[in-house]
Amino acid sequence: MKTLTAASLMLGLIMPFAAFAQNKIFPYKYFTDDLPNGLRVITIPTDYPNIVALYIVVGTGSRNEVEPGKSGFAHLFEHLMFRGTDKFPTAKYEEIMKKAGADSNAYTSDDRTVYHTVFSKEDLDQIMMLEADRFQNLKVPIDLFKTETKAVLGEYNKNAANPVVKLFEVMRDTAYDTHTYKHTTMGFLRDVENMPNMYEYSLDFFKRYYRPEYTTIIVSGDVKHENVSQLVNKYWASWQKGTYTPQIPSEAEQAEPRTGTVDWPTPTLPWVMVAFKCPPYSDEQKDHAALDLIAALGFSQNSELYQRLVIKEQKVDSLFTDFEDHRDPYLVSIGARVKDPKDVDYVRNEIVKTCESFKTTPVQKDKLDAVKSNLRYSFALGLDNSEAIAAGLAGYIALRRTPETVNKVYDLYASITPEDIQAMAQKYFVEKHRTIVTLSHKENAKNAAK
Amino acid sequence: MQQSNIRVILIAIILVLSAAAPVARAGKASPTMATVLLPNSSPLVSFRLLFNTGPASDPKGKEGVAALTAAMISDGGSRSMTYEQIVQAMYPMATGFSSQVDKEVTVFAGATHVDNLQKYYQIISGMLLDPGWREEDFKRLREDAINYLKVNLRGNNDEELGKEALYSFIYGGRPYGHQNIGTVESLEKLTLDDVKKFYRDNYTQANFVLGLAGGYPKGFDSKVEADIASKLPAGKAAKLTLPEPEKISGLEMQVIEKDTASTAISLGFPIPVTRSNPDWPALLIAQSYFGQHRSSNSYLYQRFRAIRGLNYGDYAYIEYFPRGMFQFHPDPNLDRQQQIFQIWIRPVEPKNGLFTLRAALYELNKLAKNGLSKDDFEATRQFLSKYVNVLTKAQDEQLGYALDSKFYGIGNFNDYVRGALAKLTLEDVNRVIKKYLQADNVKIVVVTKGAEAFKQAAMDGKPSPISYTQPPPKDVLDEDKIIEGYKLNFNPKKVEVVSVDSVFQK
Repeated sequence: MKTLTAASLMLGLIMPFAAFAQNKIFPYKYFTDDLPNGLRVITIPTDYPNIVALYIVVGTGSRNEVEPGKSGFAHLFEHLMFRGTDKFPTAKYEEIMKKAGADSNAYTSDDRTVYHTVFSKEDLDQIMMLEADRFQNLKVPIDLFKTETKAVLGEYNKNAANPVVKLFEVMRDTAYDTHTYKHTTMGFLRDVENMPNMYEYSLDFFKRYYRPEYTTIIVSGDVKHENVSQLVNKYWASWQKGTYTPQIPSEAEQAEPRTGTVDWPTPTLPWVMVAFKCPPYSDEQKDHAALDLIAALGFSQNSELYQRLVIKEQKVDSLFTDFEDHRDPYLVSIGARVKDPKDVDYVRNEIVKTCESFKTTPVQKDKLDAVKSNLRYSFALGLDNSEAIAAGLAGYIALRRTPETVNKVYDLYASITPEDIQAMAQKYFVEKHRTIVTLSHKENAKNAAK
Repeated sequence: MQQSNIRVILIAIILVLSAAAPVARAGKASPTMATVLLPNSSPLVSFRLLFNTGPASDPKGKEGVAALTAAMISDGGSRSMTYEQIVQAMYPMATGFSSQVDKEVTVFAGATHVDNLQKYYQIISGMLLDPGWREEDFKRLREDAINYLKVNLRGNNDEELGKEALYSFIYGGRPYGHQNIGTVESLEKLTLDDVKKFYRDNYTQANFVLGLAGGYPKGFDSKVEADIASKLPAGKAAKLTLPEPEKISGLEMQVIEKDTASTAISLGFPIPVTRSNPDWPALLIAQSYFGQHRSSNSYLYQRFRAIRGLNYGDYAYIEYFPRGMFQFHPDPNLDRQQQIFQIWIRPVEPKNGLFTLRAALYELNKLAKNGLSKDDFEATRQFLSKYVNVLTKAQDEQLGYALDSKFYGIGNFNDYVRGALAKLTLEDVNRVIKKYLQADNVKIVVVTKGAEAFKQAAMDGKPSPISYTQPPPKDVLDEDKIIEGYKLNFNPKKVEVVSVDSVFQK
């Protein structure tokens, strides 16, 4: 791994933190190619040998599922994209991928669908060709479409044994009225069950969103920019630009606090989750970045609350936050698994009190510095191979289509003061914008009530 | 943040004890301390501190003590720092120290930026060599362990439940017979003294292997060795002697009754093949062709999911691979002297449960009888020759695989696999398939609602047709006719229905 890239990474990181903190968090040199059709390609040559990571980021997720009864389609498409074209039917596609020793998969979230393949550098040309073909020429016959919808139902069912999945599902459904964040990426079960009847709509979905203007390609690894550029022009330039822009319903301001409960059919420890409406991702405004820091200050492993509830009082065995970057206003959620059902109210109140405390008491500067240090080292240490670099960028690329946003947002983190933290807590930890969901097994709940 | 910070404290396991400590047992520096060192110029330093001990060495009645000991070290305090202080100190460095416990191997892993190496090492060496043994850590981690079995496995993850129950079904009553975390009843009785004793007896220089990779300074490895030597007793390297697994006669089945929406199926049988065995690369080809983990490029996936839409995926294994629903690649350092061949069927709709079980055995039988075609052999060989690079793309993975190679006595993993694959012929692979794979003597675990009815339906031998929303092509329907009546030769004495509450109980 003695490469120029690794060397520059070392220069960035081996310095004491004060110096490290002044450097750009994303240390790699990258190249951006914009094609006339709207496709963008970001090439990051690394010196990790042999391996290339190809991440195709489509800026479409369950957020784009605007029509009622059609939730879950972005995720269904993640499946359908492996169903072949005229030129390369599934079997042929699979055969080529197999011979390349490629590790290929995909995932979908609220704002994006990401197709990722990791392979040896000598197969770059062939895999670029294959991917360009399926993005432009996907052709799924109706019988295969229906079969694939059953695999999606199977995925829903395998997830259904996990109460955390249900907790998030009910949280979104309770907290949102009109915005598409109301449903999870899997979609509502009734919609998933109805998917076999929605073949025509699936064709529309592909025509709308699988277009160059929605797509950014990341190529990271043992590659040369000129070579990537040439391949992109050869295989992707003919892709036709689309015309569709979705009208995502906006969410009216929440007028009062909300609650939800889930009765879990089998024995489990109870869960509680507290969420507040929050601003979208921004690399310019401090709001979102400040809330990232608050989530860590208040609820990460070194927070006062974690130390108390998990380590000292031992009332909770899992404490987590969910505040993934989103295009539209989302939720900052704090969840806990409670060991004894009778402590659920106590734990919920402690989470709420911790949120309140940020409004009244300024955080100590050394604690804030520790969080900033943690964020920088976490990101930097995570970039330890070509795939990790592409994977770490994919979410940011879906939001802003450039790695530069990473540098900007980490600069924002660095600029945030204890006063900013307090101001943002006052702005966003507002009772009427709060939703609380609890999940428990009925028998447990009954015992706790005794 | 790009990732949810969902920190599920799945297992905390640990122990602790009074502040008195390990002094008397410090032995002499071993001139032959085992090491795997991969120095390079990366700013990242990776540690894998490995002990050749694990739950297979749990004393009778103390099941879970190995895992709880490891947890007390990785998730508890050292003598000089409480766990809270450790967390606070590691946080700005964005680092941690984790443990992974499997039958014969316990590994402690962590990574730090070289900036912070001295500070980080000081903390983790205290954790490992001078544990705090505090009662409050013990209480917390023992409860986590019990909850892992009762809530995480029994309650919330039918797939892992089935996979883990299969191992207990196959190795019952033997050193591999209990779940790595222990049993509920034994954990409830374990004491801090049990943990301290396990540490004294098993955390020895003879059992230790130092794994280090990255840009650590010259002489750093010697310092770690010297610290180990001054704190841990010399001990004796004693390779665990394992009894042969019980012979399987016919189809043996455990059906776990659980109120759940789907039916999860795992099945398998012991194979006398590990990476040490010259037949391993050929069996690897067979396994990868038949059911490469989480890959659409495998036979089972294509037949079950892609063509029939039965479920989310279907895979095959020749090595232990826990947590497969959460990750695409296996964790290293799960080394075992005994492995099983396993098929993992992801949850199916209950109405298709018995059909799917039949289909799995039918396909396994076909594989065992017919082997691979020339094309399948070549394609799978090509895949694996390149895929090994993907498996070892990061420094920590390279270190983990190098430690595994030391356990199994093979050279560099990538070179070994590629070298062996290059020499293999189709005949070699098909010979190995015939030698080790079969579908007649198999243990099966099913997690489902209506367990008794499932058992009866399976035993009475009547056809179990598949139900489709969208029927597949005629050739598949024709094959379905064969599968739905595929004969299941159960051993009636070895078919049982158990309640989910009894699994991992004792």
